[in-house]
Amino acid sequence: MTDLAQPAAMERQITTRGRGREFPRFDVMNVIGYLLLLFAALATVMPFLWMVSTSFKGDQEIFRFPPSFIPDGLRWQNYIDAMASPDAGRQLVNSLIYALGSTVSNLVFCSLAGYALARMQFSGRNVIFALVVGLLMVPAQSQIVPVFLIVQKIPFAGGNDWLGNGGTGLLNTYWGMILPTAATPFGIFMMRQFFTRIPMEYEESAKLDGASPFTIFRRILLPLARPSLAVLGVLSFQSAWNDFVWPLILNSHREMATLQIGLQLLQSGPDARWNVVMAMATLITLPVIIVYLLAQRHVIDGAVTSGVKG
Amino acid sequence: MALRNSTSGPVKTVSFHQNWSAYAFLAPALVILFLSLLLPAAATLLMSFTDVSFLKPTNFVGFDNYVKLFNDTRFQQAVGNTIHYTIGVTFPTMVLGLLAAVALNQKVPGRMAFRTIFYLPVLTSLIAAAVVWAYVYEPYAGPLNGLLTRVGLPPQPWLQNPGLAMNALIIMAIWRDFGTAMIIYLAGLQDIPNDLYEAARLDGAKGKDIFLRITVPMLSSVTFYLLIILIVQTFQVFGAIYVMTQGGPLGSTETVVYQMYQTAFGYTEFGYGAAMSTVLFLTILVFSIIGTRIMRRKDA
Repeated sequence: MTDLAQPAAMERQITTRGRGREFPRFDVMNVIGYLLLLFAALATVMPFLWMVSTSFKGDQEIFRFPPSFIPDGLRWQNYIDAMASPDAGRQLVNSLIYALGSTVSNLVFCSLAGYALARMQFSGRNVIFALVVGLLMVPAQSQIVPVFLIVQKIPFAGGNDWLGNGGTGLLNTYWGMILPTAATPFGIFMMRQFFTRIPMEYEESAKLDGASPFTIFRRILLPLARPSLAVLGVLSFQSAWNDFVWPLILNSHREMATLQIGLQLLQSGPDARWNVVMAMATLITLPVIIVYLLAQRHVIDGAVTSGVKG
Repeated sequence: MALRNSTSGPVKTVSFHQNWSAYAFLAPALVILFLSLLLPAAATLLMSFTDVSFLKPTNFVGFDNYVKLFNDTRFQQAVGNTIHYTIGVTFPTMVLGLLAAVALNQKVPGRMAFRTIFYLPVLTSLIAAAVVWAYVYEPYAGPLNGLLTRVGLPPQPWLQNPGLAMNALIIMAIWRDFGTAMIIYLAGLQDIPNDLYEAARLDGAKGKDIFLRITVPMLSSVTFYLLIILIVQTFQVFGAIYVMTQGGPLGSTETVVYQMYQTAFGYTEFGYGAAMSTVLFLTILVFSIIGTRIMRRKDA
């Protein structure tokens, strides 16, 4: 039953199971090809390995040249320093609030809108859907100036009057940070595509029983949408957790900095030490990689449907 | 996929009640899209005809910002840098992604491990990646110069030399992006019917011919789609430059978005920044429209 409901994009798992060609005959070309593959893999992980290696080095050791790949010992103190660095705890909290806030609002708002666009009859539906598709094409980075001004001029917020003047609006607040990413055209589009694929019969009997649209959505369709919601959730979390531009532009107060901003501040700071910086980078990178490894299959498929994220 | 009317025939009679509840479902998302995308896009356009800034009252200045922009040698340099970066990143990323995808579409030992490794940089936050690469390129203690020294080559000031800095950024971006290209190509390879390969092999075609005559042509729409999304993405490069070079040395890595950020938030010339934003937006829009058309054709 659930299988039927899963969108084709998620069914189309990226494996060669059952259809791939056998590993070609052992010949020189294949050996060279495989060696190149190994080399590429090594080159790809090398920066990560250096990151981890440096994160364990001592304060003198990091200035040794040429640097040694294997650290002299495991200096866990760097991790303690990274976490104890002023504001690190606060930054973790900020990142979590931003990422979770953005994720939850995307899940709620995009699934509601996607459901309406896929399964409800109303005037203006095609126009609104065309608008959503059109907005898919607006590059976020080109909007940094006006979004800053809009967040600053939200009426009645941060000392603003009803015209949005006089105060700082939602700048330096969680609401302001979450707002630009709280619903995305991509999320709406993805949920709409998913809900479109579910046969109408699912809700027909509920409709005959007089259930409200919200009950149908909440009780019948949302449970079916769990795989899609998982993809949207992971992608939203990942993009907010890794986000740099909005926190940079919308917050000037140090106590609103997220981990990404914190890492940048740590690295560019006057007493930056590479070992502590790398420990911090490791700490930031790890959660995303772990989430990915746990949800690998869904996330990769979602990334394929969405194109490039980040 | 896109604009098809999905569920049923044309909408005939829709009651007030139906409209009301549908709009209630849509309202939160639409308000956010309005505030975060639609209004900003309109505001950018309007602001680009003014001299709005923090410091003085706003005046309408007509096309002055655009005239200034097209005569601004610094902006021209930024456009040149952005094009350099975009071309430098896009093509190697696609070639490497394709090669990796073709290799890993076969039953190679350790296939899943390779895929995961090649996809790891995509998952890393841009800032973490930029910080790590800033260390890799560090002239006096960094591993890259360490490696060069060990093999007897002279160390280089990677991010401090105007002739090298942009290329150093490009290499990092390729490292970060080719996993995406690989994943999209892998999906494209799955869509090529196996019969084609079997028929070709029955006809005695060799591996290279199969690759050039079947794989590459069958992937053309995926390639084009990927080209577009990579162009759109690399055109907006910002974070890596902010962390690694701040546009330097000598403006050699100053790209359009970085300059826009500087103009608006460094010099608080919002009007002029908005003109840059509009030019950037229109450029990207052209590519996006092409990309969306391809995606729609592919999915239809």
